[in-house]
Amino acid sequence: MSGPVVEFKAATKRFGATVAVDTATLDIRSGEVLAVLGENGAGKSTLMKMLYGIHPPSEGHILIDGKPSAVQGPADAMRNGIGMVFQHFSQFPALSVRDNLLLAWPKTPFWTGRRNAGIAPALATLAELAPHIDPDVRVADLSVGEQQLVELSKVLNISARIVIFDEPTSVLTPAEAHNLHGFIRRLADDGMAVILITHKLADVTACADRIAVMRRGAIVDVSASGEKPISSIVSLMMGKEIKRTLTAPKPIKQRVEQLFLNNVCAKAPGMELRNISLRIAKGEVLGIAGVAGNGQSLLADVIAGLHPITSGDVVLEGQSIARRDVRQTLATPLGYIPEQPRENAVVEDMTLLRNLNLRALAAGSRVDDEALDLLSRFNVNPPEPGRLAGSLSGGNLQKLVSARELGTPRSGVLACYPTMGLDLAAIEMVYQELFAQAEAGAAVIWISEDLDDLMLAAHRIAILREGEVVAVKDNDGTLSRDEIGALMTGLRIDEVAA
Amino acid sequence: MSRSAFTTGLVTALAFAVLILVFFALLGKPPFVMVSNLVIYAVGDTYSISQTFAKTTPILLCALAAAVPGRLGLISVGAEGQLYAGAIAGTGAVLLAPALPAVLLVPFMLASAALGGAAYGCVPGLLRARLQINETITTLVLNYVSVLLVNALVFGPWKDPESQGWPATAFFPQEAILPSLPGTRIHLGLLLAIVFAIGLHAFFTRGPSSQKIRILAGNRKVGEMFGLNFGFWVVAMMSLGGAIAGIAGIAEVSAIQGRLQPNISLGYGLTGFLVAWLSRHQPLVIVPVAFLVGGLVAASDALQLFAKVPASSAVILQGLLFATALAVPGLMKQMRLGFGR
Repeated sequence: MSGPVVEFKAATKRFGATVAVDTATLDIRSGEVLAVLGENGAGKSTLMKMLYGIHPPSEGHILIDGKPSAVQGPADAMRNGIGMVFQHFSQFPALSVRDNLLLAWPKTPFWTGRRNAGIAPALATLAELAPHIDPDVRVADLSVGEQQLVELSKVLNISARIVIFDEPTSVLTPAEAHNLHGFIRRLADDGMAVILITHKLADVTACADRIAVMRRGAIVDVSASGEKPISSIVSLMMGKEIKRTLTAPKPIKQRVEQLFLNNVCAKAPGMELRNISLRIAKGEVLGIAGVAGNGQSLLADVIAGLHPITSGDVVLEGQSIARRDVRQTLATPLGYIPEQPRENAVVEDMTLLRNLNLRALAAGSRVDDEALDLLSRFNVNPPEPGRLAGSLSGGNLQKLVSARELGTPRSGVLACYPTMGLDLAAIEMVYQELFAQAEAGAAVIWISEDLDDLMLAAHRIAILREGEVVAVKDNDGTLSRDEIGALMTGLRIDEVAA
Repeated sequence: MSRSAFTTGLVTALAFAVLILVFFALLGKPPFVMVSNLVIYAVGDTYSISQTFAKTTPILLCALAAAVPGRLGLISVGAEGQLYAGAIAGTGAVLLAPALPAVLLVPFMLASAALGGAAYGCVPGLLRARLQINETITTLVLNYVSVLLVNALVFGPWKDPESQGWPATAFFPQEAILPSLPGTRIHLGLLLAIVFAIGLHAFFTRGPSSQKIRILAGNRKVGEMFGLNFGFWVVAMMSLGGAIAGIAGIAEVSAIQGRLQPNISLGYGLTGFLVAWLSRHQPLVIVPVAFLVGGLVAASDALQLFAKVPASSAVILQGLLFATALAVPGLMKQMRLGFGR
């Protein structure tokens, strides 16, 4: 193996007084997968954005092929064969998958008619990676997981020799993540340098050759995969020993049904919900499992009263909370944690204090001042009520939204991927708060793609496939992953196992 | 004001000064004399000040009209059309009841003009709210409609038979003329505009709805989650903006022209739009900016008369002002970032 393709030489990045990355020294080699592991805000993304040219280093420098990097920005980085798959995708939602791929591909011919053989290579990667995605569908109609696959295809299309993945599996189903691991492995075997920014140990054990651990802006350790036990990697990352525990909510003593979905039907472009009926009792946590893009986001929007229903009803404590007409709006009484908090749950140019009090502000009343308590209880960093929400990292925004929605007792809670993009400590905290709502008497709907978590904690699991609830299973300890996997995909159990 | 904002303002003013000096030099006029004339013609004597305020009033009202929907994140360029719509509705009121005493006629005329402007702003608002049709395009094209509608009226049914072919209505009765300071063209419209600016400032910063509008402007989906109705606020803000522009229209007709005729506005709608964006839709910032631009417009009119510069100079000077005011702060920000590296 030749010398490293990329070398960080004491690279430091400051934003004002904050040191995001502190004298990082690291080399990246061709043909291997380097995992950059760390909690939210440890500086992983910033480190790689220095290489990608978004944030040039404040001090120190970066060598590419032994020469000082002249990368001035993302376009430059792409020309130098560096590609990055971001947590927040850079796609045109109104355009088709095909157009998005062609727009990002330097070799796109002038004429992009369907019969032009010149465009085939741009679509080939996607066909290999995700054959189920139709290139003619608009990106806006794809699920988050599918959008990520499109993003990945875009990067692979620029014939990158250095590929950076920023938290790639945080939105994928286990099966999709498994696929991605295989793909990442293959990229490295083909001679590329692959950098995997992640806080998931599963990603690291699945495909990394070397592991760089970051904590508070510094690279605290670099070791070959398997050289150190996982527990010591975790303690390096956290600075303290944290075991992955998930305390399930208490079982329900007496079933008092509180939240009802009665034959809910709704339509959105590319998705239709058909006759969904669910009854959630006081104190119950109902998990909703399903492969990404099977109607989860539409179902969430319907329950939260954002998307109008075509028939049926959603009833909480005897009151209808469904939206029937686009022209009328209603404030949902549910605690609602939508997916992608930056887009769906916060006002970026308002302060944290105001974002915590959006309900009151939208009702025309004044804000109450419990912000500091909530911010520290939900571990929002930095806990400054006067700071603009837009300046927070994705994980901290997720915590901010959890603080707003779970901070006060509610009779119903709807949580969509509430732990997406969070580190282990924060995941545990959010689950605790979510289950505490149930124990205090809320009916909780919990949409998740993490089947293990669902099976550990949900009272019942409903499986959503192609806009329909195909089964509701009691989670009494007898459920098997294979059985649920079969229901999720519509395959028979033996096919899944094979 | 922070130190960097002050520097930016200073550099912008200097850059604009240099540009107009170059402009006058290119015209073959003594540049420094012309610039000092510009200042004299803007604020040099009572007559100049009267002219400056006469231009400031419609610009200020149109800027407020663009700023109101702008607060919700809408880009309305419809103030010009709403101004004409207000002029039509207000004139209609006067033609309907010309014999009313002033205490009744002036409020009736103003209210009709506001309603006319509001109705004209409401249409693109409804199209946006119900059918997601881009409000910038609809307000832009609707501008032509009401301008031409004025022409149709004054060439046709509303034409004064005694005007011998001149396309205009009859002169307004004295009771329908907005009161003004004696011997000047500073009229009630200016007072109304300043009251509106203060009122809007309070509404957008302290009012019970101020936060609702900020939430919807920042993230519509979040607003709807908490029960806010984006469509309602689009129609409301577009109508309110239209009403203010409508007042600008009738004020021009009543206080300046004395009757409805074509070309009542000298592009005030678009000038106001630029003033609103330069002031970042802040009503209290719009007031001084509108005064500056009004002064420039009035002074370059005078310059054209007395110093024999081409008629287009007024527009060129305005263009230079807006170009510098938009470009210089951006360039300075870039340079600061560049030095910071």
